[in-house]
Amino acid sequence: MNSFFKNIFRFGWANFYRNKLLSFQVIFVMVVVVLTVTSLFLFKGLASYLIGEIEKRVDVVVSFKREASEEDILKVKEKLYSFSQDIENIDYISKDRALELFKEKHVNDPVYQQALNELQDNPLLASLNVKANNLKSYADITGFLEKNEDFASLINKISYNDTTHKQAIEKLILITNGVKQAGITIGVILSLLVILITFNTVKLSILSFKDEITTMKLVGASSRFVRGPFVIQIFICGIFSVAIADLIIFCGSFYLNNKISTWLSQFNILNYFQGNLLFLVAIQISIVIILGFISTWLASRKYLKI
Amino acid sequence: MISFQSVIKAYNSGDKIITAIGGVSFAIEPGEFVSLVGKSGSGKTTLIKLLVGEEKPTEGSVFFQDLEVSTARSEVLQKIRRKIGVVYQDYKLLLNKTVKENLSYIMEVIGAPQENIDADIPQVLSIVGLDQRMNNFPHELSGGEKQRLAIARALIHRPQVIVADEPTGNLDLYNTYEIISLLQKINNLGTTVMLSTHNKEIVDALKKRVITLESGKIISDEKVGKFIL
Repeated sequence: MNSFFKNIFRFGWANFYRNKLLSFQVIFVMVVVVLTVTSLFLFKGLASYLIGEIEKRVDVVVSFKREASEEDILKVKEKLYSFSQDIENIDYISKDRALELFKEKHVNDPVYQQALNELQDNPLLASLNVKANNLKSYADITGFLEKNEDFASLINKISYNDTTHKQAIEKLILITNGVKQAGITIGVILSLLVILITFNTVKLSILSFKDEITTMKLVGASSRFVRGPFVIQIFICGIFSVAIADLIIFCGSFYLNNKISTWLSQFNILNYFQGNLLFLVAIQISIVIILGFISTWLASRKYLKI
Repeated sequence: MISFQSVIKAYNSGDKIITAIGGVSFAIEPGEFVSLVGKSGSGKTTLIKLLVGEEKPTEGSVFFQDLEVSTARSEVLQKIRRKIGVVYQDYKLLLNKTVKENLSYIMEVIGAPQENIDADIPQVLSIVGLDQRMNNFPHELSGGEKQRLAIARALIHRPQVIVADEPTGNLDLYNTYEIISLLQKINNLGTTVMLSTHNKEIVDALKKRVITLESGKIISDEKVGKFIL
């Protein structure tokens, strides 16, 4: 058994280096395959980051009537936390804090400054700024606040009910869903292409060994003994292609990182790639091994039937 | 040892059915030296293909040591093929392997130990005159050298039967004589030999059993035969 595997590895390696042009072709195609799969992974990371960034900027402001006490508002805050696990954060902005923020915001605007000085009382209302992990949760949160009789009498306005705010959130939901679905669709299409390209490349390389396979069978070799070296040959091509593809991606990420850092300051594509390198290499090698094995098995099956 | 029983082999060629073998029956006993004689297209190569299971008969049965070749499962067919050394007319060499590797492959297939492989290959290559070409690839050999390599490959694992399909077709007179002498020696040691040829001189000189084929049928089977075509 030991010499069986030793021979298979020896023949596989010999097939690899004696058929340099063929090995180069297989490596080239596999590099494209690995680059495609890895780019898809990096694209997913970038898309998740962008969607997250957009979602972070969205919130719903619940403003309370003048007569609502801080205690009542904090109770509403507590109830909201227990209502939905999608709530990431709720900030309580008291009337005084709201006034401070307003003044800070318009510190250079003399019209606002003058208007504020003329007012005796603080005209602003206390509010809760609700941030959720999921854009879809805002409709549920609004519904919860509106339907609850204890809160309804305290609430002055919920920003989600503004037509523009609601439309903006709904549009964002559509966009993020669209991006996710496009990602899945592109992923499925590219995966099918990758499978087809790999299979055809392996099929062509096996075709060039058709006569040898027939001869090997005619001298009494078992199908495993015939097929094994081809699997090893494709596996070696796969290892080389993973190394080459990762080197290309590393250089590409390094270059791209400098370009995109100006508008994506928080997302470092190089760090993202390096941080996931082990996982990526495991996935890449698994893909080339599985695809290589299945393709070799299927492509050689026809010639082994002798 | 080898038995063909009412074997018919027909091929579909468009609308026509071409009969390559038309009801052939014969048996070869262990240790026999049998020449299969016939013109090109008489069915000699088809008989060899049927014996090693490369083709399946349309009708009838082919047996090797009580095992029916035509219906044998893959594992059984492997065992049968390992007991038969075949010299193919088109050599069927492993083009990506050196001369030495072409021989070692066969021994590795049968699971021979490395010491035997290392000892036997130089010996057999020396017999066929290829000991200086051990590390060359088949494409670096002449037609005669390829044929000698094919012969060496058929002998290397000491099979019970050697089937040679026109093994001297590309050889000069001297090498032809050498190869036929070698086959005779192997036969004298007890190995069954089935030689397919249309070389009159060889057949007449051998004075062994001759089966003559014409258009896929046996027209003569003589214990000590002569070339009659």
